[in-house]
Amino acid sequence: MSYNPIIMLILFFVFLAIFLILFRPVKGYYWILKNSLKQNKKIVIEDILKQLYHCEISDKEVGIEFLSGVLKSKDTNILEAVKEMEAKDLISTQGNSIKLNTSGREYALKIIRVHRLWEKYLAEKTGYDKKEWHDRAELMEHKLDEKATNILASELGNPMFDPHGDPIPTQTGEIVELGGVTLSSLKRYDIGKIIHIEDEPDVIYRQILAENIHIGSYIRVIENNSKRVVFYAEGEEFILAPIVAANVTVLTIDNEEEIDKDLVRLSSLKENETGEIISISKESRGEARRRLLDLGFVKGSKVSLDLTGPMNNPRGYHIKGTTIALRNEQAIHILIKKSSQNGKV
Amino acid sequence: MEKYSACDTCGHFNAQGLQKLGVKVEEVDYVIALAGNPNTGKSTVFNSLTGLRQHTGNWPGKTVIRAEGAYAYNDKKYKLIDLPGTYSLLSTSDDEEVARNFILFGKPDVTVVVVDASRLERNLNLVLQILEITDKAVLCLNLMDEAERNNISIDQRTLSRDLGIPVVATSARYNRGIPELIQTIEGVANGSIKCKAHHVINIPKNIKKATNNLVVELEKQFPKLPNKSWIALRLLQGDERIIKALESGELIVE
Amino acid sequence: MSKKVENIVEFANELRWQIGDELHDHLTESIYADAAKIASASVSTENSKKSFRLDAKIDKIVTSKIWGFPIMFLVLALVLWITIIGANYPSSMLATLLLDNVHPILKSFAASIGMPWWLDGFLIDGVYLALAWVIAVMLPPMAIFFPLFTMLEDFGYLPRVAFNMDYLFKKTGAHGKQALTMSMGFGCNAAGVVATRIIDSPRERLIAIITNNFSLCNGRWPTQILIATIFIGAVVPSSLSGFASVSAVISIAILGIGFMFLSSWLLTKTVLKGEVSTFNLELPPYRPPRIWKTIYTSLIDRTLIVLWRAMVFAVPAGAIIWLISNIYIGDESIAAWIINSLDGFGLILGLNGVILLAYIVAIPANEIVIPTILMLTVMVTGISGGEGAGVMFELDSVNETATILRAGGWTLLTAVNVMLFSLLHNPCSTTIYTIYKETKSVKWTVIASLLPLIMGFVVTFLVAQIWRVF
Ligand SMILES: Nc1nc2c(ncn2[C@@H]2O[C@H](COP(=O)(O)OP(=O)(O)O)[C@@H](O)[C@H]2O)c(=O)[nH]1
Ligand SMILES: [Mg+2]
Repeated sequence: MSYNPIIMLILFFVFLAIFLILFRPVKGYYWILKNSLKQNKKIVIEDILKQLYHCEISDKEVGIEFLSGVLKSKDTNILEAVKEMEAKDLISTQGNSIKLNTSGREYALKIIRVHRLWEKYLAEKTGYDKKEWHDRAELMEHKLDEKATNILASELGNPMFDPHGDPIPTQTGEIVELGGVTLSSLKRYDIGKIIHIEDEPDVIYRQILAENIHIGSYIRVIENNSKRVVFYAEGEEFILAPIVAANVTVLTIDNEEEIDKDLVRLSSLKENETGEIISISKESRGEARRRLLDLGFVKGSKVSLDLTGPMNNPRGYHIKGTTIALRNEQAIHILIKKSSQNGKV
Repeated sequence: MEKYSACDTCGHFNAQGLQKLGVKVEEVDYVIALAGNPNTGKSTVFNSLTGLRQHTGNWPGKTVIRAEGAYAYNDKKYKLIDLPGTYSLLSTSDDEEVARNFILFGKPDVTVVVVDASRLERNLNLVLQILEITDKAVLCLNLMDEAERNNISIDQRTLSRDLGIPVVATSARYNRGIPELIQTIEGVANGSIKCKAHHVINIPKNIKKATNNLVVELEKQFPKLPNKSWIALRLLQGDERIIKALESGELIVE
Repeated sequence: MSKKVENIVEFANELRWQIGDELHDHLTESIYADAAKIASASVSTENSKKSFRLDAKIDKIVTSKIWGFPIMFLVLALVLWITIIGANYPSSMLATLLLDNVHPILKSFAASIGMPWWLDGFLIDGVYLALAWVIAVMLPPMAIFFPLFTMLEDFGYLPRVAFNMDYLFKKTGAHGKQALTMSMGFGCNAAGVVATRIIDSPRERLIAIITNNFSLCNGRWPTQILIATIFIGAVVPSSLSGFASVSAVISIAILGIGFMFLSSWLLTKTVLKGEVSTFNLELPPYRPPRIWKTIYTSLIDRTLIVLWRAMVFAVPAGAIIWLISNIYIGDESIAAWIINSLDGFGLILGLNGVILLAYIVAIPANEIVIPTILMLTVMVTGISGGEGAGVMFELDSVNETATILRAGGWTLLTAVNVMLFSLLHNPCSTTIYTIYKETKSVKWTVIASLLPLIMGFVVTFLVAQIWRVF
């Protein structure tokens, strides 16, 4: 018999390696190939419209090179698409600069509407990770037709904002003005409320996510220089690089009174401390938020830490006569005020 | 413990009139729903009324399918539905939908809400929501033995007055208070006990206004619809099932 | 949609826009405010702290950093130990009754009414024996395991297990309640799969369903113990042999838990991508379990239902085993023919054709694996012993069993790989059927069936090659 265990082992690992190279999640060649085949003209046109819309808002000039750069596509493809779009009266070109026409702007808003609604849907109704919302919405925005979009919108209760705080255009293409300034532009001792966190580019968004910064949080800046922005929110200290802070939008508040200095996160509650629930952060959404409320985590409830568990996560909180276990990832979304006197009430 | 098991011997309860029918549920006179938070003893109450052995266990979330059973009392047959335990009726999870849909669309003659006497406040959240849907309800104050051990006493008369429905104290595990429960269910089912359920008072103004507007509209379009304010509230939350029900007309009572 | 309804929905949408997205928040707050008012009017407490204290004390211990995990493993080990030890005696009694007494009676009855040999063999040696084996091997451990498990459930310990384990499960993308369905799987995988209904998120529920098979179920414990006693116990000094074989079996069970975590993680990274959902679990008060009621309900609820299903599936298995051993193609029975063609593949995996065939015909119920292996081994090796073609049997003495297996070419490697393969192969047909009923999806049923089988092939293959290199 020509059977040799070493050869068998080697064969096995060779097959395994080939399999992994082809099929490993996302970066496997099979998936890459499959995705690249899906690119078609409609998608290119819609992506260009979106880019043009965003640039129009921030008063940026747009040319072919810029588009081929951000869309990671060949110049010739973009040129072809631009020609077709001009013929359809979606855009007009003057020299090297491309501008949206009214119909093009309407079209762009429709795409943005689908994108943001889909993100809202993912946030409210599914378990997908925040990091995945954007990519999934990028795919969906080219697929959903107007009718399906309106059904989706009404199922979600016609929301006004997507989970990042971006306004969702209405059916008729109206869109709320957001306002606010970037966090990086605030000065020392400024106070405000976070109203928006930009989800592009991905690398910066991931850094913001890793810090557990929440939309709706009240903040107070305590340091801002070319190296870092430091601020307090909900009893914790956050340090961001200025370019990261530039992706967070804050509505400034003039009146000291409006912000509650003693607000801390439930996750910071220690054994033998008692707190009173003040609110649940906007970052806790959909089913998860409703569940917390139903379990009695409502404004005014007294809460104390009962059990820390072998891993410190999840922990058991005593609330309204019973012990409820929550993961720390959920507890950071619950804002409380600690009672001044220690010891259980 | 005497005070709620006394009725075992009192004149009203007709012990001969009780017959546990198990799963024989054809041709019933009344349909009774058992609702309540998880782990309050619904299945235990269900078992002691029907003589069945629906699975019970000490932890939230073990009743995952709804069970049916029956009993007869004073020549009337009662069908009993053991609903999955829920903390609320406002959310969208599957078990809540089963419970909510049954109370709303199953049109039970009586809804028995089983609560944990030691954790009354937390349990009232669900009770008050159920009372928004239906008037014909009985509060089953279960786990009384535990409450007593924890030195908690409950003034049943005040509670009954505040909620506007009859209150029965039980310890289902030891079959205490079950005869009274059977009698009370009979009374509510045949109308000899009248309920006037409490409705939540301090709903914020903007919600109240919105529901009122919607109720006016519903009044115009569907004058025969019961529970209009609850339905208005569900519509405000975008409940697809309610929209479907409006369409099919299954909510209308003649 | 009718115009009327459309108008109303339109109007509701408009109003919702005005209220904003905090409807649920406000509503719940006001309901709870009412609840607090009503409760405070009728509830009075006298120093309630005192009585809640015992619960709090137990909780502090069973979820503590030092004692939390040891207590958990101790409890699980204790339940399994009682099950295994306790099942021994009734199992052998049932076996004596059904196999040594009833079987001959049936045979002689069949002979007395002149039943043709093939019908007698098919019905009594095939169908009846399979049924008898399943009952004898499966009923006693289940009748012990489920009541014990239900007692823990009634006491209120299970939610604490989920609480302790949640962190580990979250790391692999699964839900803490999977700890419960996993423990349930040690009794029976089909019951474990049904129990996954307690998990709300569909993604996490699927993970729990697919990975439940990695809990070594009651049907497989006897195989593990027998093989470990014969082969693992034999390589150490006899004073240690009991300890060594028990450790080997426990290692396999723990390995199973490892594979459960590994495949949960793999599934999360590939076909069941997604973020872990939330974990909100109420920890109920401890309650003294009601022993008799528990035994009664868990017998009715769980044991009998599972046993019934297993019996339904065992009937065709017994029939097939008898048929393939008694129908001849040329001068070889179908069984021998299949064994020969599987032998090559089996050897690469460190197993053999007999074992693979036994696992194929034993898909309906893992309990009959050992009897089938013994019967087939005697048949292909032609050594004396056994009861004839297609007649499953087991031997009272471990030594005789060992002799037969060694004659069939078994080595220590074969034994180790059989133990691994018994952990890592497709679920039994009862479980597969249950998975289909719970998921209502052919795709997930196929994945759940093939994933452990492929893992079994890979693991036994690697072990065999590495073993042979050294
Ligand atoms: N001490 C005590 N325990 C009870 C009583 N009623 C139910 N139980 C126990 O409470 C637990 C939950 O009961 P179960 O009927 O399964 O609750 P369900 O989830 O509402 O159906 C079980 O362990 C029961 O034995 C009671 O009146 N007194
Ligand atoms: Mg139940």
